[in-house]
Amino acid sequence: MLIGRRLIHIGLIVLLMVGGVWAGQPKTQQVSILMPAPHADATAELVKKFNLEHRGRIDLKVIRGPLETESISDLAISSLLLGTPPFDALLVDVTWLPKYVAAGWLEPLDRWFDPADEDQLVQGAKLGNRIDGTLYRWPFGADVGLLYWRTDLMQEPPRTPEELVSTLTDLQRSDPDLNGFVWQGRQYEGLSCAFLEMLRAFGGQWLDPGSGEPQLNSPEALRTAAWMKDLLRRDISPQAITNYAESDVLQVFKAGDAALMRNWPYAWAELQAPGSAVRGRVGVTTMVAEPGLMPAATLGSWGLSILRGTQHPDATAEAIRYITSTKAQRDRFLDQGYTPTASSLFQDPELLAVAPVLPELEGALDHAVARPSTPLYAQMSDLLQRQLSGILTGAVPAVDGMIKAQDATLTLMRAAGEDA
Amino acid sequence: MILLLAMPSLLLMGLVFGWPMLRYCWLSFHADSVITGLVPVPNGGANWIRLMEDQRFWQDVVQTTRFASVSVGLELVLALTIALLLDQRWRGRGVVRALALLPWALPTTMMALGWRWIFNTPYGPIERLAHALGFEPLNLLSTPQWTWIVTALADVWKTTPFITLLLLAGLQTIPEDLYSALRLEGGRPLQALVRITLPLLLPYILISLLFRGAQAFGVFDLIQVLTGGGPAGTTESLALYAFMNAMRFLDFGYSATVMVAGFLLLTLAMLAAAVLLGLTGLLRPVQS
Repeated sequence: MLIGRRLIHIGLIVLLMVGGVWAGQPKTQQVSILMPAPHADATAELVKKFNLEHRGRIDLKVIRGPLETESISDLAISSLLLGTPPFDALLVDVTWLPKYVAAGWLEPLDRWFDPADEDQLVQGAKLGNRIDGTLYRWPFGADVGLLYWRTDLMQEPPRTPEELVSTLTDLQRSDPDLNGFVWQGRQYEGLSCAFLEMLRAFGGQWLDPGSGEPQLNSPEALRTAAWMKDLLRRDISPQAITNYAESDVLQVFKAGDAALMRNWPYAWAELQAPGSAVRGRVGVTTMVAEPGLMPAATLGSWGLSILRGTQHPDATAEAIRYITSTKAQRDRFLDQGYTPTASSLFQDPELLAVAPVLPELEGALDHAVARPSTPLYAQMSDLLQRQLSGILTGAVPAVDGMIKAQDATLTLMRAAGEDA
Repeated sequence: MILLLAMPSLLLMGLVFGWPMLRYCWLSFHADSVITGLVPVPNGGANWIRLMEDQRFWQDVVQTTRFASVSVGLELVLALTIALLLDQRWRGRGVVRALALLPWALPTTMMALGWRWIFNTPYGPIERLAHALGFEPLNLLSTPQWTWIVTALADVWKTTPFITLLLLAGLQTIPEDLYSALRLEGGRPLQALVRITLPLLLPYILISLLFRGAQAFGVFDLIQVLTGGGPAGTTESLALYAFMNAMRFLDFGYSATVMVAGFLLLTLAMLAAAVLLGLTGLLRPVQS
């Protein structure tokens, strides 16, 4: 009886002590980051390691969002509009940044990343992270538009628009079933990306770099649109591409049904996978350009941004630094084929041994061209896609379509008070 | 007393319908976008002036009306036929009635994904069939003249069962003795259809037209998944345009304007239809 009561007393004391120690422990900080599903999957291992190393201090969770870029944007925006978002950081596409910053949703990152960090980055990864001089985004992977070519069908890739047409015409003469050049022709963001590369190939500009005025009715832009339409008219590109996005284009090229493809670096790993009909027969280069002009590669790329209003900005920054570290990039490149952002990795002998394509990628990153950096970008791109889609599907002549795109862009910029 | 009893439902209506509508009207007289830092700033009638001059808005009005009238028209003809068949007595009718409802029970997004695959060029079954028969590629989802018809057909497949259900319910309210009387007088089946079935079914036809018309005018998910509004914007609906303005462009003032304008146009169309029906006397059976 007495022993029983004593046991209860001792038990209570022990409980109190344990409780006291428990309460004195610093609370674990919950950090969550929203990413599109493929990026989340590619980061899963790192998250496990991070949580082991930071046990008791930070608990990182990566939320698997939808696959499509636009669906991620819809999801992120709906929760941001509701006030306090349910995550601390977000994987942000390069084109969203000006809009999100203007909406006041992002936290400046200059407190955690300095110019010395930025100097470590390869040229193409330095672009698209700053708005008016303030850093808002830290690159997760480098991404630019590339031209994939079949090494078994040609000696070397075409360098100019004329060469592209003549090479493919010759190839199709001997194999009429071959789709020459496949690219993203569906009415969506990919079409704007492909167009920008071809526009620069003819020396055109989307917005004038000095005045900021749209240049979509310039002689160069008109030539670009006419050339794109001509590719379809001459069957160098199949009419079906007017409904093709990245994955559709990749399917055709991977099946060995096309000679040239415009796509992003991620396609490389897919083309070397066991199921690919063109494995070991693919080269990578940049888009063609008129003689004397620099080829252009549209800058894609995702980066991590901290959301304003997060309870744990420091812990979130620590997590971002961890999952974008040189080592993390190295693993992500070896395991998943995500292009690194650290310039040192492009000379890494081990990486070069598995991916001889790296120097080409670095070269393309040097030719990276950003899409217009404005909060109005989504609207501007939508206006352009609409007209380009009309031109490619024959709903409107090339000249009329580009003039309409120019006028609509001007109207939009004036209405928003953005004209120069 | 009547007003008092109606209060709860009036309150609910005001809360879920009236208040958001008033809020949208208010917002349509404000600039509220990233440029204003997502704070509503009064801008007079600038949104409405922009709307009047916005060719894309008017193109979408035409396209949405085109989509709604073709799909609802086809649905009505098909649904009437199917309802008449399902109203007859025959073996296995119960099973077929249940099966006929199936498309309506499927989520729109899922079946839109299915259609996107069916109409895919060159790997979809329709293209393969066309290719096997020696046709040129049809490019059904990338031809401005055809793609909107494809979207209408997908809608017909999905919502015909809904009208069928309404009309079938209507058919069961028609007393059997009317048909017996007609048969006694020596009337033929076609006369039964024109003289008895159609006039007595009219209120149900009108109700389904009203329901489906309003629903088709607000079409969003089907188009968003199937075509995203393309090619060249030829399948974009008003709801999709309003959504793009709000969620993609973060321009809530103009998005509200598009929505209010769409609502006003739909109301006007409904009123005009009611007045026309009243004038032609078609509504009379409903009152008697």
